[in-house]
Amino acid sequence: MADNDAIAQLMARCVLRDQRAFRELYRHTCAKLYAVALRIVRREDWAEEVLQESFVNIWNHIAEYSAARSAPLTWMTAIVRNRALDWLRRPNLEHGDEDYDLLVEAVADDAPGPELILGASRDARALAECLKQLTGNQRQTIILAYSHGLSHGELAQHLKQPLGTVKTWIRRGLDRLKGCMDTSAAG
Amino acid sequence: MKYTNPQFRDAVSAEYVLGTLQGAARRRFERSLKDDPRLRQLVAQWQNRLAPLDELVEPVQPPARVWRKIEDRIVRAGPRRWLSDMRFWRAASFISAACALLLAVYIVQQPPRAPETMVVVMSGDQGTPAMTVSWPVKPSGKPKLRIRVMGHPDMPPGTSWELWMLPGSDQKPVSLGLIGTAPMQELAIPANLAPMINRATGLAMSQEPAGGSPTGLPTGPVLYKGLCTPI
Repeated sequence: MADNDAIAQLMARCVLRDQRAFRELYRHTCAKLYAVALRIVRREDWAEEVLQESFVNIWNHIAEYSAARSAPLTWMTAIVRNRALDWLRRPNLEHGDEDYDLLVEAVADDAPGPELILGASRDARALAECLKQLTGNQRQTIILAYSHGLSHGELAQHLKQPLGTVKTWIRRGLDRLKGCMDTSAAG
Repeated sequence: MKYTNPQFRDAVSAEYVLGTLQGAARRRFERSLKDDPRLRQLVAQWQNRLAPLDELVEPVQPPARVWRKIEDRIVRAGPRRWLSDMRFWRAASFISAACALLLAVYIVQQPPRAPETMVVVMSGDQGTPAMTVSWPVKPSGKPKLRIRVMGHPDMPPGTSWELWMLPGSDQKPVSLGLIGTAPMQELAIPANLAPMINRATGLAMSQEPAGGSPTGLPTGPVLYKGLCTPI
């Protein structure tokens, strides 16, 4: 796991157009961010394109990063996720539907509790605790959408549920998650 | 569409971060984000809530060609976008010309020695000059920076403006101190920075927490920056 303080220092230097710092920033974060892209687009050549686009974007917009709002890696990850999601939603993209069926199985609603699969940071434990409060369907749809980029339609198709049902699971799940996390953050 | 209802704003932000807000609705939401800082705040909160889900990703090393392509696109092609921005050069040449004229008058009036002056025209993302900093180039002593702030910029409560010197391409920026929004200011800088500032490549000004950067390096957004031009 890349160290957020080191990344923050490198980003500060990148703001001032320090190219050596940018290469260091890439070296520190590329494996993590490539994995995030790969998990969503599921093809190495696509993930490479997404990573390339994302880093060009990061370089061009690095001055807009605000340390008060999010950790540097969270900000960078959001850029990669957005690029990857845009990539998936391109018209005429050939999907491998069988991959989705495997994924849906892997994130089944009776899979091991999220506390087993989430990392050990304090934030991760808080999220894991709150994910446990959701119903299995709510948890599964949220994880499939966030981690693997499944759309409402894809979730409905692969979970063999009406679209409205899937949308309700997600909406209620997110609502409950927020309530739970805001309470645990305040406590 | 306007995002006014607070519950709706939060719900749309959540689905945007989750990735289930799609197509035209996603584009529309991204357009609203540009000029709605509170909406950006809601999005950041959701990113922070869900970010731990990325902790369980096993890192995968991408092929080396990815960095080479990135480098081709940004480092070699345009190391400093604002250096190639015509508006920057137009503003810089205009102000340089004005300063040269002033200097010429000064030289005529005081023929023996004309101290060289360094001028930095600083601009924001739009390329419009927003601030100038100038100081006499002297081999020793404490330089006093003369700062002109144009327009009437707002400084949000709880924040400070910090001025940075950029010593060169591979060195870390050095803080010169905090400045305000007043149209005319002076900032005396420590004597030990004097030899450095005369060789600096540029200056930058960032928005920091009240009292200045806690880390000794810029942490907030860089509002203005510019190159040092000796005249």
